[in-house]
Amino acid sequence: MELFFMTLTTGIMVGGIYALVALGWVLIYKCSGVLNLAMGELTLIGAYVTWSFYSWGVPFVLSVILTLGVGIVLGFLTERIFLDKLIGEPILAVIMVTVGLSFFLKGLIGFIWGTDTSVYTPPVFELKPITIGILKISPVYLWSFILSIVLLVVFVLFFKYTRWGLSMQATADDETAALSLGVSARFVYAAAWAIAFMSAGVGGALLGNINGINISVGYLGLLVLPAVVLGGLNSVPGAIVGGIAIGLLQNFSGTYLDQFFPGGVKEIVPFVFMAVFLLFKPYGLWGWERIERV
Amino acid sequence: MSSVWLPCGDYHQDYAEDQGWWQTTFLKSKMILLLLITFVGIPLLLPEYWVSVATMVGYTAMGALGVQLLIGYTGLITLGHSAFIAVGAYTSTMLVLQFPWPQGIVDAGLAYPISIVAAGIVAGLWSVLFGLPSAKVKGFYLILTTMAAQFITVDFILTQYVSQIGGRGQAFSLPPGTIKIGPWVIENDVQVYYVMAVMLTLMVIVLANLLRSKPGRAWVAIRDNDIAAEALGINIVWYKLLSFFVAGFTAGMAGAFWVCNTAALSPEHFTWGWSLWLVGVILIGGVGSIHGAIFGSIFMVVIMELLQMVVIPMGDYYPELLMGFTYIKDMAFGLAICGFLIYEPNGLAYRWWQAKNYFNLWPFSY
Repeated sequence: MELFFMTLTTGIMVGGIYALVALGWVLIYKCSGVLNLAMGELTLIGAYVTWSFYSWGVPFVLSVILTLGVGIVLGFLTERIFLDKLIGEPILAVIMVTVGLSFFLKGLIGFIWGTDTSVYTPPVFELKPITIGILKISPVYLWSFILSIVLLVVFVLFFKYTRWGLSMQATADDETAALSLGVSARFVYAAAWAIAFMSAGVGGALLGNINGINISVGYLGLLVLPAVVLGGLNSVPGAIVGGIAIGLLQNFSGTYLDQFFPGGVKEIVPFVFMAVFLLFKPYGLWGWERIERV
Repeated sequence: MSSVWLPCGDYHQDYAEDQGWWQTTFLKSKMILLLLITFVGIPLLLPEYWVSVATMVGYTAMGALGVQLLIGYTGLITLGHSAFIAVGAYTSTMLVLQFPWPQGIVDAGLAYPISIVAAGIVAGLWSVLFGLPSAKVKGFYLILTTMAAQFITVDFILTQYVSQIGGRGQAFSLPPGTIKIGPWVIENDVQVYYVMAVMLTLMVIVLANLLRSKPGRAWVAIRDNDIAAEALGINIVWYKLLSFFVAGFTAGMAGAFWVCNTAALSPEHFTWGWSLWLVGVILIGGVGSIHGAIFGSIFMVVIMELLQMVVIPMGDYYPELLMGFTYIKDMAFGLAICGFLIYEPNGLAYRWWQAKNYFNLWPFSY
């Protein structure tokens, strides 16, 4: 029973981090309709930038804030250089530009920061787990979980009540109509990318505290895809629920299935789940179903 | 009627003539020249190093042709093609190494050729399995399914289970002399090149003919508008799965060829990056044309070789450039994809078409 509860809490907590990254993904899709396959690299950049600031002696909170600043700049740049010219192009073109972007960023990251694992020294969060009853939770997970919930609330409110949020949703729904109503689509797209870079940056900063940072953190950007598919591509709460569900799925399969299928069952189960899930409910739990006409 | 050029207007006298492949003497001599270059010029005149580069181009093109069929002709976006190449490569290796062949077949050198066909069939069926969701989903969702195919096949099944067969750990290696086609043992670069050239030529001929027959037209109809295609009475599920099968078949053959090129096999040859690379190749070459896949392969492989030639001498002064060459390669590839998509979305094949058109009308264009 203890094993079960341990798996449960770890699953939820790891899921919190997936949820953070999934949130960034959904935001880009929700605002600009771009399906971003470079999310892992954005996370990596966030992780490395925060780590660099931290290792130069900047306090952790301040370096996260600085990373947010860098994220805004990078987001605007990415949008202006690569995606601005693709507004209205077919889906494959836009997806492949993000793939090209991911290759480019991966190369850039490898070139600047190398392949060795970088660890936060001294560690930011206490390594000793907090004990609640029979559960042991390490503080990093707790913080990331809290943060993802906070960001969820912030973004839901943002989309519902602010002018920017509404104009972003309008652009995603129908670009032409939004343009005719005086929404600046270019600004909306740039803002979407800036937000995505920022949320990936926070996710990366927290993630780097768990096992250190190396290029394999980028794999997380792919794990996000099952999460967003489960939640529905354009649903902010869906991203959170999907992230946590994928975290749970992963940890439970790691605990209980590993004896039957030794090896990397933990890494694969989300994708198996995604492939099967797509067969039955491709629009996810809360995604918009698009009706097609000839 | 065989003239040097086609006169204005359509002068075909029967259907066979109308559907002829090479309708003029000029075209015919052009294609014969191309075949001569492929089969005589490159292997016999170029130094061995460049022959192996050409082999690499051919291998990329074989993979890219399957992707081209799926993305460019059927409109099914796939980002997991190297999984099917891997299935082909492993099937072929397993058959050659583990299958109890009768001595007569081994002596006749038929084991490897048979394994190529078997690899194609197995990879094709495997591809159909992951193509099944295409009956229901498309676009981005199909991308996710094919990605899942990649991770499930290569990172899990092949790495964790298939690689353990025979107890060698991660990599398989084929002892020299195992790969035999008929009386010839495939050993040096030139022989490998010939295997590639024959396979690629066959593949191009079969695909090109397939694309101008009923399945090909059905595929194009599905690509252009699948709902309309269904309304026209095309069984879209069947044709989508057929497309997956044919693409998987070419991938399997490419995989089987890869075995004879490297004589060693490990899951690292078939990463997700390679799948993306193949898609990038067809984007650069031009989506929706067979020669686009080949142009793209030539462009990417040769550009990477040239990049290497530029970077290696510079390594004397900037050693970090040499250390990070794989990263430079990644960056160059990423930039190339982005650049082509933004500035030349029709790819190299479109430029080729433009050049041809220009010379068709030369010297009196409009």
